[in-house]
Amino acid sequence: MRIHAIKLVNFRQFRGEQGFDLRSDSIRRVTLIFGGNGAGKTTVLNAFTWALYGSMSDDVEEQERMVTDSVWRALPIGAKTEVAVELTFDHKGHDYRLRRRAELRKESDEQRSPSPEIDLWEIKAEGSSEKVGAPQERILSILPRVVSRFFFFNGERIEKLVQKGSYSEVQQDIKALLGLEQVERAIEHLPKVDRRLTADLKRHGGEKAKEIQTAIDDLRDREDASQEELQVLDGGLATLNEEREGVTSLLRQHASAAPIQNRRDSVTRELAEAKQALKAATQDQAALIATRGFLAFTDDLVAKTAKLATTLYQKGALPAPLKREFVDELLAQGRCICGTPLAEHTDPREHVQEWRQRAGLQAVEAAWQQLTGQITAIPGARKEFGESLQGIVRRLSTERDRVSRFEEELSELRGQLENSRLEDVQQLESKRIDLDHRIGAKQQRIGSAKTALEQIRKEIAQRTNERSRAEVTDELAAKARARSDLVQSVRRALAEILEIRSESMRDRLDAELKVIFAKITIKPYVPRLSERFELALYQDVNGVELAVPKSTGENQILSLSFVAAVSKLAREIQKERRAEGDLSGDANYPIVMDAAFGSLDQNYQREVSRALAQMAPQLVVLVSKSQGLGHVVGELMPYVSHVGVIATHTTTQGDASEDIEFEGCSYPYICSSAEADYAELTVIK
Amino acid sequence: MTTADRSEQDVLQELTADQRALLKRVLEIERARLHVSAADLTDDLLSAVKEILP
Repeated sequence: MRIHAIKLVNFRQFRGEQGFDLRSDSIRRVTLIFGGNGAGKTTVLNAFTWALYGSMSDDVEEQERMVTDSVWRALPIGAKTEVAVELTFDHKGHDYRLRRRAELRKESDEQRSPSPEIDLWEIKAEGSSEKVGAPQERILSILPRVVSRFFFFNGERIEKLVQKGSYSEVQQDIKALLGLEQVERAIEHLPKVDRRLTADLKRHGGEKAKEIQTAIDDLRDREDASQEELQVLDGGLATLNEEREGVTSLLRQHASAAPIQNRRDSVTRELAEAKQALKAATQDQAALIATRGFLAFTDDLVAKTAKLATTLYQKGALPAPLKREFVDELLAQGRCICGTPLAEHTDPREHVQEWRQRAGLQAVEAAWQQLTGQITAIPGARKEFGESLQGIVRRLSTERDRVSRFEEELSELRGQLENSRLEDVQQLESKRIDLDHRIGAKQQRIGSAKTALEQIRKEIAQRTNERSRAEVTDELAAKARARSDLVQSVRRALAEILEIRSESMRDRLDAELKVIFAKITIKPYVPRLSERFELALYQDVNGVELAVPKSTGENQILSLSFVAAVSKLAREIQKERRAEGDLSGDANYPIVMDAAFGSLDQNYQREVSRALAQMAPQLVVLVSKSQGLGHVVGELMPYVSHVGVIATHTTTQGDASEDIEFEGCSYPYICSSAEADYAELTVIK
Repeated sequence: MTTADRSEQDVLQELTADQRALLKRVLEIERARLHVSAADLTDDLLSAVKEILP
C-alpha cells in the first residue's frame, strides 16, 4: 500500500478543502510535515485512520466535533455541511480512491457524532473507475485494522507497545501481520468441518464404522474438554505467576524500606521509653518537693529555732515527753497507769513520787537533746534535698531532649515511608510461599492434563487407523471417510506449520530488532523478544547479563525498532513461498508517525531519523519545528520528497505570529489575529 | 512433531497433492476473513473439501 494523496474537507481544524500530495519513490520516500503544538499533526494522523477504519485514536478529545468549529458556527440552523477525508493509494498493482464522508445538518451549536459513509473506487489503467462493492471489507483485507497500529502511530505514545500488559494484544497483531493468525484459526475451524463430514460416515458407514466413529467423536469431545481445561489451567497459572511477581515486587520494596522501618520501630520504642522516663522524673520531682520541699525554706528558720530553743531550755520550759503534771494527776487519782492503787504511805505511791522529781529535769534534758539533734541535721538535709532536686532537673532536661530528638527523627522516618504502604513482610512471605505451592500444584495439573491430552490423541490416531481399515461399502460413507482423513491430515500439517512459523517469526523479529536497535542506541544494551513476544533490554556487565530498567526515551527507541522490525519482516514474508501459495505483490505499508521523536535527546533524534529514513517504503513524519529542524532535517533531507507545514491561524490578538525557515525561505507557522481559528496545510516543497 | 530441523516447505512436500491443495485453500479462506473475528467458516471450508474430493 502506497498513499498518493490525502484530501481533507472541513475535517476538525482543517477548514474547507485541503489536500497534500504524498506520492513518493523508492529513494525519496519521506514526507515531512511541520506543525506547532495543537496545529493539527495528530489530526492529520487520525485523518488516515478515520478514512481507513472510521475511527480515531483515544487521545483525540471531543471526537463528535468533526466539522471545523468556525464552519459549524457560521452554518445557519437547518443548513447542511460535510466532513470528509479522501485517500488515493495503490496496493498490489491496483489504484484506489477511498472516501469517508458524512453529511451533517445543523440543529444546534452542538455537533452530533456523524454517521459517515465509505466509498472505494478502483481506478482502471485507462482512467475509468469502478466502485468496490464491499469497501470496508476490501480495506480490511488490504491492511487489517489490528495491525494498523504498527503503521499509523503517535511517537510519544509508542512506548505503550512495549509496556507490560499490552503484550497479548501486540502478540495478536503480530500474528495477524506475520501470517500466523490464519493458521491458528484454520486449526480451530477444521474440527467442525470434520464433525460434519463424519456425521455422514456414521449414518451410512455400517455398524463397525459407526461404532468406530462414535468412539472417535467421544474422544474428540474429550480432547476438546481437555484442551479447554488446559487453557483454563494455563490462564490460572499466568494469573498466579502475575500475583507472585506482584508479591515479590512488594517484598523487594520491603527489603529496600526495611532498614528505615527497623529504625522507625526502634525510634518508636526509644521515644516511648524517653516519655516514660520523663514522666517518672516529673513524678519523682513532685514527690521530692511534696515531702522535702519545705527544707528549701529552713535556712533562717534553723537559726531562729535554735535561738528560741536555747532560751526555752535555759528556762526549763521545753516540752518534755514525761511531764510532772501527768505524774501529779496520777497521784491525785490514786492509781498508776498500770492500775496499782497509790494509797498514801505505800511503796507504789512513793515510787511514783520519785518519778515526779525525776520527770521535770530529765524530760527537759531529753527534749533538749532531741531538739538540738534535729536542728543540727536540718542544714545537711537541706543540702541533700537541693542536690536531689538538681539531679531530677538534670534528668528532666535529658529526657525532654531525648523525647524531642526522637519525635523529630520519627517524623522524618515516617515521611520517608509514606509512599511505601507495605503489607507486613511476614504476611507477604506466607503469601509468596502459598503462591509457590499453588503454582507447583497448577503445573502438576497442567502436566497431567497434557499427558491425558496426548493419550486421547494417540487413541484418536489409533481409532482413525481402525476406521481406515474398516470395511465400508456405502459410497457416501467411503467419501466422507476419505474427506475426513484429508481434513485431519491437513490439520496436523497446519499445527506443525504454526509451530515452525511461530518459532521462525520470533527468531527473525528478534534478530532484526537487535540490528535496528543497535543502529539507533548509543548504549550497550541488547533487546530481546521472548517467546511471549515480551520486549526487554539487557546489558552485559562483566559477563553477567542484567535486565536494564528502561526510561521513556529508551522505551520509545525500543518500540520504534520493534515497529521497524515488524514492518520489514511483514514485507519479507510476502516474498517467501508459503503454504498459502503465492502472496506476491506489493506488500509494502506506509508508516505515518506523529511526534516521531517524542522526548528524545538530539543525538537520539539524529539516529532515529537515520533509521526512520530506511524503515519503510513510504514514511510520513509529522513534527514540530523544534523537533524537526536541525539534526532531523539533516538526516532525512536526502530522502525527502515532500515538505509541508500546518499553519495555525488563530484569532488571538497581538503579535504571536511566527514563521518557519526552510532552505532559505520563510513560511507562515503561526498567524495571529486571524478572522477564525483553523489550520492550513501548506506545501513547501 | 519436531520443528528443530524442519521448514514449512518440508511439511508441504510430505503432503499429497490433495492435502496441499486443501491446506492452501483453507489458509486462503481464513486469510480473507481474518478481520471478521466471529466468522463461521465451516460451510466455506466444507465446500473447499468437497471441491478437492468431489
